Amino acid sequence: MNALPGRLTPMVVAATLVACGGGGGGGSNPPPVPPVTQPPPATISKAEAYRFLNQATFGATDAEAQSVIATGYEAWIDQQLQRPASLELPHVQQAFAAFPPGADFTRLHEDRVDIWLRHALHAPDQLRQRVAFALSQIMVISQQSPLVGYPWGCASYYDMLAQNAFGNFRDLMENVTLHPAMGVYLSMLGNQKPDAARNIRPDENYARELMQLFTIGLVQLNADGSIKTDTAGKPIPTYDQEIVQGFAHVYTGWTFSGAPSFATAFPTIANQIRPMQAYAEQHATGTKRLLNYPGALATVIPAGQTPEQDLDAALDNIFNHPNVAPFIAQRLIQHLVTSNPSPQYVARVAAKFDNDGSGKRGNLAAVVKALLLDTEARAAPASATAGKLKEPLLRLTQLWRAYAAASQSGKYNVQNITGLIGQGPLQAPSVFNFFSPFYAPPGEVANQGLVAPEMQLTTEYLSSLWTDYVFVLAFCYTTTPVQGCPPIPDALRPDLVIIDAAAERALASNPQALVDAIAVRLVGGPISNTLSTQARGMVERAPSGDPALRVAEALYLIASAPEVALQR
Amino acid sequence: MDRFNRRRFLKCAAAGGLAYAFGRTPQAVSAATFGSNAAFADYKALVCVFLFGGNDSFNMVVPRSAAEYSAYATSRQNLAIAQASLLPINSLVPDPNGALHGLHPSMGEVATLFEQDEVCAIVANIGPLIEPTSKAQYQAKATRLPPQLFSHNDQQDQWHALKGEATLKSGWAGRIADALMAPGASPPLDQSLAVNLSLNGQTLFQAGATSVPYTMGPTGPVPFFGLENTDAYTLARRAAFESILRANHATVYERAYSSVQQRALQGAAKVNDALASVRSPNAAPFATAFPMTPLGQQLKTVAELIAARDRLEVSRQIFFVATGGFDTHDAQVQDQPQLLGGLSNALAAFYRATVDLGVAASVTTFTQSDFGRTLTSNGDGTDHAWGGNQLVIGGAVAGRTLYGRYPLLQIDGPDDVGGGRMIPGVSSDQYAATLAKWFGVSAGSLSVVAPHIGNFAQGDLGFMLT
Repeated sequence: MNALPGRLTPMVVAATLVACGGGGGGGSNPPPVPPVTQPPPATISKAEAYRFLNQATFGATDAEAQSVIATGYEAWIDQQLQRPASLELPHVQQAFAAFPPGADFTRLHEDRVDIWLRHALHAPDQLRQRVAFALSQIMVISQQSPLVGYPWGCASYYDMLAQNAFGNFRDLMENVTLHPAMGVYLSMLGNQKPDAARNIRPDENYARELMQLFTIGLVQLNADGSIKTDTAGKPIPTYDQEIVQGFAHVYTGWTFSGAPSFATAFPTIANQIRPMQAYAEQHATGTKRLLNYPGALATVIPAGQTPEQDLDAALDNIFNHPNVAPFIAQRLIQHLVTSNPSPQYVARVAAKFDNDGSGKRGNLAAVVKALLLDTEARAAPASATAGKLKEPLLRLTQLWRAYAAASQSGKYNVQNITGLIGQGPLQAPSVFNFFSPFYAPPGEVANQGLVAPEMQLTTEYLSSLWTDYVFVLAFCYTTTPVQGCPPIPDALRPDLVIIDAAAERALASNPQALVDAIAVRLVGGPISNTLSTQARGMVERAPSGDPALRVAEALYLIASAPEVALQR
Repeated sequence: MDRFNRRRFLKCAAAGGLAYAFGRTPQAVSAATFGSNAAFADYKALVCVFLFGGNDSFNMVVPRSAAEYSAYATSRQNLAIAQASLLPINSLVPDPNGALHGLHPSMGEVATLFEQDEVCAIVANIGPLIEPTSKAQYQAKATRLPPQLFSHNDQQDQWHALKGEATLKSGWAGRIADALMAPGASPPLDQSLAVNLSLNGQTLFQAGATSVPYTMGPTGPVPFFGLENTDAYTLARRAAFESILRANHATVYERAYSSVQQRALQGAAKVNDALASVRSPNAAPFATAFPMTPLGQQLKTVAELIAARDRLEVSRQIFFVATGGFDTHDAQVQDQPQLLGGLSNALAAFYRATVDLGVAASVTTFTQSDFGRTLTSNGDGTDHAWGGNQLVIGGAVAGRTLYGRYPLLQIDGPDDVGGGRMIPGVSSDQYAATLAKWFGVSAGSLSVVAPHIGNFAQGDLGFMLT
C-alpha cells in the first residue's frame, strides 16, 4: 500500500483535525466486577504498599502509598477501575498542528513517547495504563516497521488498549483485529482473496500470530497453564497449517475505510485511527476450517458469508478456546507480578477469566483484580522465585516517579528512549516483543526449568546502559548536581528531565539517615545490610562539605543495585 | 528534547574537571590477569549473520537458464526478478541438469566474491530437518519433523539450537564453545574473553551449557561511568559497586542480573581498550570503508575486534551479528533491493577488511535465517516457508560453488509441500557440522554440536577447503 506522505494534502489534514476534536478521557465504563471475598488486612505497611504499587502502577510514591494504606487494596483497585483512560491521540494531534508545513511527521512518535511518559508519571488511571502497557507487549505493534509512517495510528492503537483494559476480552480481540495499525503491522490490511491464476494465496501472518501470540499459543494448556501432553509425552499443537489457512481466508477483504472499493482504499490521518472496513469483492467466500476443541461452536465456517459474519464466527471460535484463560492469566501475571507463578495461582486467575462470578467470560477487570488480590501476589515473598526483574521502562518510570522527575517545559521528550535504556512504548524489534515469556537465561534459571523473561533485555550491553543512566541522573541531571557536570546546552535545557533530590541533600551530614531515606523512597522500607553498608561507606568517603556528591554516591549505588532491579 | 548523547557527555565531563568521576585513563585495565591463556596456535573466527524475519532467498539466488527460469517466473508472477537483470554466476561444480543461476541485481559485490574472488559459496535449499525427508514422506508424515515449521521464533530457535523435537537450552555456537573449553579438550582452550561474542542481543545460538557468551552493543561494550579510573576514590566506588553485586541475593532474578553486570564490568575495560587501540588515528588496521547501516556497523566492530585479537589474547571467536526486515509479507518488490543490497555491501566490506588484516583464510562468515519464503504470494508479498539459500564467505571457503541441490521452483512441483514451500534437501545440522569441523571441533564432539548429524549421509557438506 502507499506510504502516507504521498496521499496527504493540506485540505485532508485540516478536515481531519476538525473532525477529531480534542478531549481528554474516554473509554467505556468497565462491566461490574463482583466483589472479592477477601478479608481486608489489619494494617498495610509502607513496604507492602510499595510492593503493591510497583505491581499496579508505574512506580510507588509516598502519596499513593498513603492512599493504599488508608483505603486498603480492594477499594484502591475499585477506584482505579472507574477511572477513564488517559489518551495519547489528542496530544499527537496537537503536536502535529504545531508542526511547520513539510515537517517530517514520523517525529510525532517522539510526541507519542512524551505523552506515554507523562501518563506513566502523572496520569490518575495508573492501573489501567499499567494493564494497557502489558497488553501492548502481548498484542504487539511497533513503530519499527512501516508503522513509523503512522504515528496517529500507533497512538490510537495504544488508546484502544487502554480503553479496553478493563472491558471484555472478546471486544479487545475485535478492536485489535480491526485496528488499521495492527492491520498494517501483521498484513491483514489489504489481504486479498485467493487468485489461482496469479498464484495468490491469502497471507497467513495475522492468522498465525493472533493465535500464537495473542490468545491461545502453540500447544494445548491445562487450566493451570501447564502444557498438556499426549500418551507419548509430547505437547499437542492447538492448530495445524490447514486451520491457519482457514483463518487466513477469514481475514481477507479488509482495508482502510472510506474508499469506494478495495483497490482504491488508501491511508489518511483520519482512517488510520478508525476500524478497517470490509470490501466484499476481495473476501474469500469458501468454507474455512477453524479451531476444533471440545464444545467448539463453529469448527467450519460455511461458504457464502459476509466478511463481518466470518470475522464474528472466527473470533468467537478463538475466544471460547479453553487455552485463552490460562494463556492470558499467565501473561498478565508475568507482566504485573511474577515471572514464575505457581500453577495454582494461574488456575485461580484463569478461572476468573472463564467466569467472573456472574457467569461472564472474559471480564478483564475481574481478572486484573483477582490477579492483584491473590494471596500469591499479596503475601510477603518468601521463595527464591517470587517476583520478577523490572523491565527498563518500569525501572525508569519508578525512579522518575520516586524523585518527581520533570523538565522545565513539562515535556518528557526523550529522543531515542530505546537507544537510551533498551526499551520504548510500541518500539519492540518484532511482534515477539522485547522479551519472550519463555526466556530463561542460561545457568540457574534455565537449569531449574524457570523463566525470567526480562532477562532477555538484560545483556551486558543493555544493563550497562541503564547503570550509566542512573549515574548520569544521580550525579548531574538532578536539582543537586555535583561539581564538574558537563554544561547543558541552552537549546536542550528546557526539555531536560531532572530529578529532585533536595530532601536527600538536607540529610547529607548524616550518612545513615541519607541511605535510609533513599531506601524508603525507592522500596518503601529497608534495603539489605550489604547495600546499606556499602552505600553508607561511599557517603562517608565523600567530603562532608560536598552534600551533592554524598547524595549522588548513595543514590547511584542504591538505584543501580540488583535488589532494586527486582520487583517483588 | 532530552537528547542524552553519551560521547558529548563524557567529553564535557572530563573537561569540567570531573575526571575522577567520569571517563577513564587509558591504562585502566589493572595488571591483574584474567587467568592463564592456553590457546590454539592459530586464530579462527566464525561470523554468523542472522537475517531476521525469513529471507526470501529464492529471489536472492535465482535460476537463469530457460526451463528453470520459466518455472520460477510462472510461480512468482509479479514478484519474479527480471531474467535479464540477474547477475550471472557459474558454479565450478555444474548443476546435474545444467541449470544456471544468477544473483539478485542488488548483490553485485557478493557476485564478485563468488565469481571473481571465488571466496563465496552458496548452500542451496537448506533448512531445519531431523532426518532426510522427501515430499512423499512429508505428506505421509513418515519422518520426524521439527515442530512448528512456519513459526518465526520456533524456526529461529531451530537454526540457533538444531533442537529438532527436543527442548534444548543451548545453541550450536554455545556447544562449540563448551566443547573447546571442556577439561581434556585438545588444546585446552582457556581464553579470558568468551568464545561467543554477540553484537546483537542474546540468542539461544550462543547459550552454552557451561560457556557464557558476552554481549556488547553494535560498536562495542559500554564503558561504566565512574567505575573505570584508577585513582583511590574511584577504586573505592568500584569496590562498593562490586561488593553489592557479589552479595548473597535472595532470588534467582537478582543473581542472574548481578552475574550479567559482573561480566559486563570485567569485560568492558579490556574490550574497550583493545578497540581503542585499533581505532586510534595511527592504527588504521584496514582500509575498507563499511556502510553506515546497523549491519555495517556491527561487522566493522567485528573487524576491529579481530584486528585486536592479540591484545584480547584470543584464538577462537564466534561472532553473532544480525539485521532485520526480511519478513516481506508486503512491498517485497520495493523492499528487497535495499535488504539484499545492504546485505551484499556489508558482507563484501567485511570480507575486504579481513583481506586487509591478512586473516581472510581465518575468518568464515555465514548467513542464517528463520526460513525461506513461499513461491506463492499474497499479491505484494510472500509468506513463511521452509527451505532457502544461504551464503558462506571467507578465504578458507571452497567458493564459486553451489552446494546442495537447487530445487525446481514450481508450485505443486516435486519439492513443493504446499503453498509453494520448498522442502529442504540439506539440513542446518550439516551446515553447522561443516563449519564446526573447520573451526576445530573434534570429530567426536560434532554430534553434540549438531545432534542430528548422524541421520545424514553427508556429515560435511564440503564447502570449506581442507
